[in-house]
Amino acid sequence: MSFLAFFFIVVSLLSFVVAQLVLKKAMEFSAKSGLHNSRFISLISIGIALMTISFFLTLGLLQRFDLSYLYPFQGLSVMIITLMAAMMLKEKLNLRLTIGALLITAGIVLVSLS
Amino acid sequence: MQNRPSGFGNPWLQLTLSVLCVFVSEFLLKRGATDVAEPDSAFSWTGINGLTSPLVWWAILLIIASFISWLYVLRYIPITIAYPLSRVVDVLVPLGCWIFLGEFISTLRWCGIALVVIGLALVAKPVAQIEERL
Repeated sequence: MSFLAFFFIVVSLLSFVVAQLVLKKAMEFSAKSGLHNSRFISLISIGIALMTISFFLTLGLLQRFDLSYLYPFQGLSVMIITLMAAMMLKEKLNLRLTIGALLITAGIVLVSLS
Repeated sequence: MQNRPSGFGNPWLQLTLSVLCVFVSEFLLKRGATDVAEPDSAFSWTGINGLTSPLVWWAILLIIASFISWLYVLRYIPITIAYPLSRVVDVLVPLGCWIFLGEFISTLRWCGIALVVIGLALVAKPVAQIEERL
C-alpha cells in the first residue's frame, strides 16, 4: 500500500469518526430543543460536510482496491467512536461493551489484513 | 434510553434498515466505481469521476436513506451501542463479496469475521435484556 493510499484512508476514517460524534451531538440536541434552531442546523451541516468528504475519498479508494480489502478499515472506527463517545459525550461504557467493541475492531482489522 | 416509538418508528427496526441500505450501496459503489475507473489519472483519487456512473447515483440514494434512518437511531440509542451494532455490515460485506462477486475469503479473514460476530453478540446481549424488561 502506498503512502498516498494510507494517507487517504486515514483522512477518510478521521472525517467519518468526527462526523458521527457531531451528528450524535446534533440529534441529542434536537431531542431537547427541536429541529428549528441554529445550533442544531450548524452541527448537522458540519456532520454532513464531513461525511461527504469521507464518502468521496472512499469512492476514489474503491477505484484502486478490492472492496473486501478496503472497506474493513472502517472497523477501526468502532473502537475510536466508542472511546470518544465515552469521553466527549459522557456515554456509559461498561466492560462488556468495551470488550465487544474491541473484538469487533480486531475482527475487522483481521479481515482487512488477510 | 428514553421512551421510544413502536412500529416503523422503532429505532431497532430503523437500525436494521440503515444497515441493509449500506450493505446494498457498497456493492453498487464497487460496481459503479469499477465501471468508470481511470486509475492513471491523479484527479480520480478524489473519486468525483465516480459520479459519471448511474450505479453510483443509486448508491447515493440508498446512502441518504440509510443516513436519515441512522440520524433517527442516534436520537434514541447511545452511539456506544448503536455504532458497534451497525458494523454487522463489516461481516455482511465480505460475505456478500464472496457470494456475489466471487472474491476470495482466506482462513484469516474467516477468523476476523468470527471475531466480529462474537463482539456483536457481546454488545447486543445486554440490549436484548433491557428490551425484555421494558
